[in-house]
Amino acid sequence: MRRILAILAGLLVIVALWEGYKAVGNPDGTVLFGVRVLPRADDLSMPHVWTVLQRLGRPELTGGRPVWIVVLQACLFTLGITAAGFLAGAAVGLLLAVAMQRFRLVERGLLPYVILSQTVPLVALAPLVAGWGGTIMPPWATVAVIASYLAFFPVAVGMLRGLQSPAASGVELMRSYAAGWWRTLVKLRLPASLPYLFPALRLAGAAAVVGAVVGEISTGTRGGIGRLIIEYSREATSDPAKVYTAMLGAALLGLVVAGAVSLFELPLMRHRRHVEVVTL
Amino acid sequence: MTAVVLDKVTKVFNRGRADEVTALAEVDLTVGDGEFVSLIGPSGCGKSTLLRLIADLIEPTTGTVRVAGKEAGRARRDQDYGIAFQQAGLFEWRTVRRNVELPLELRGMGKGERKARAEEMLALVGLAEFAGHYPAQLSGGMQQRVAIARALAVQPPLLLMDEPFGALDEMTRERLQGELLGICAQTGTSTVFVTHSISEAVFLSNRVVVMSARPGRITAAIPVDLPARDEAARQSERYFEHVTAVRQALRGVPATT
Repeated sequence: MRRILAILAGLLVIVALWEGYKAVGNPDGTVLFGVRVLPRADDLSMPHVWTVLQRLGRPELTGGRPVWIVVLQACLFTLGITAAGFLAGAAVGLLLAVAMQRFRLVERGLLPYVILSQTVPLVALAPLVAGWGGTIMPPWATVAVIASYLAFFPVAVGMLRGLQSPAASGVELMRSYAAGWWRTLVKLRLPASLPYLFPALRLAGAAAVVGAVVGEISTGTRGGIGRLIIEYSREATSDPAKVYTAMLGAALLGLVVAGAVSLFELPLMRHRRHVEVVTL
Repeated sequence: MTAVVLDKVTKVFNRGRADEVTALAEVDLTVGDGEFVSLIGPSGCGKSTLLRLIADLIEPTTGTVRVAGKEAGRARRDQDYGIAFQQAGLFEWRTVRRNVELPLELRGMGKGERKARAEEMLALVGLAEFAGHYPAQLSGGMQQRVAIARALAVQPPLLLMDEPFGALDEMTRERLQGELLGICAQTGTSTVFVTHSISEAVFLSNRVVVMSARPGRITAAIPVDLPARDEAARQSERYFEHVTAVRQALRGVPATT
């Protein structure tokens, strides 16, 4: 209950900031030494919150379906891609982390490239991956590949830290029980890595959403929220509220993914923190 | 049968490198069945290394280590010993009972049997009613008792302890010493106990093995013969005589007893 209230309060603060800036900000933006440091506050650049909400209810095109249905459908399409990319990325990240933990050599050899992989601009990579669409995989899967390319990184790095987190005494204890690498992994390293895994998964979820949205745009995939943002932004001069409805959709997508991660986290992490100490 | 036999054991770390360290040189040590032996000495004298050699957590450079009549590696795989470290090292995601069950689980013991054994061990260390708690909910002393219960769970003939009470306050420490002695007497376990504390070594042990550093060697072995090991024993003259003897041995003065 308290959490829901906190979320609602957060939403209200954002709305208040938006409308507050609109009320006091210069409609032409604040320009300092020829640079616009604050955005335009006019209705064309920053439509009122209620205008955006009203726009959700009105048809996309004259006589068409209402915008909220279109946005929601696009969200669902992108959610599917995001989920596929997220799962694939998380699996790859996990496997890489386990391999790096197992073999020092792999860690030394691979970790620099894992980090390097994220400095390759996505837009440079996207056309290459897009070329796979329709031949070795359906077009939507190429977008999922791009999403997973962003998502695997935080998981690989966070999970590696988590797998390496057990104290030497824990590892020695497992050795004293004659437990091999696999059983040490299952009984000690994996459970110990959970506090590192979940923040990493949350980052991966956000990265997968960004990857899916950007991937849709750069591969020209139709049907998703990324595509919708591009389409609606073309109408921004005549219908400024429209593009914001698509952005709301993208934000909603991020929340859904973060919520899904929390859904796994809550039962698994219930006893890991915030407990009262008994002294005897 | 003897619990532990070390024969001319030498351990060199980082062999052939600039930072080569001889942790132990030509150490001979025998621990009899049911005997309680303490290893004491300054930091860096190799007492923890010695314990790890017995546990087969590291391998000797030369010499042989035999535990329960077997080669040390075999004894480890057979789980012929239980081990407890200075840090309790409990798994925070497991309840107290499931922590104690861990070595049994790895042995493939059935669920019911495992639970019964864990509860029995927890009763032994006086924590029966905390079986369902998580380690983070317990104080340091209680966690250490869980670690001891875990070490005892496989009912090993040999208990290896590396400063298990080192991080505890004096009160808790003395109480746990008493409990440990009771458990060892009850189960007939042989014990190798690493400690910094002279009084702890004397109070607990049948024999105090004094070590010196660089290279780590055994310089004296002082048999401790106390009529009883209770609170009164801590005040007895015999006790203090032994404490003095150990202290002199640590300083390199030839033993007078």
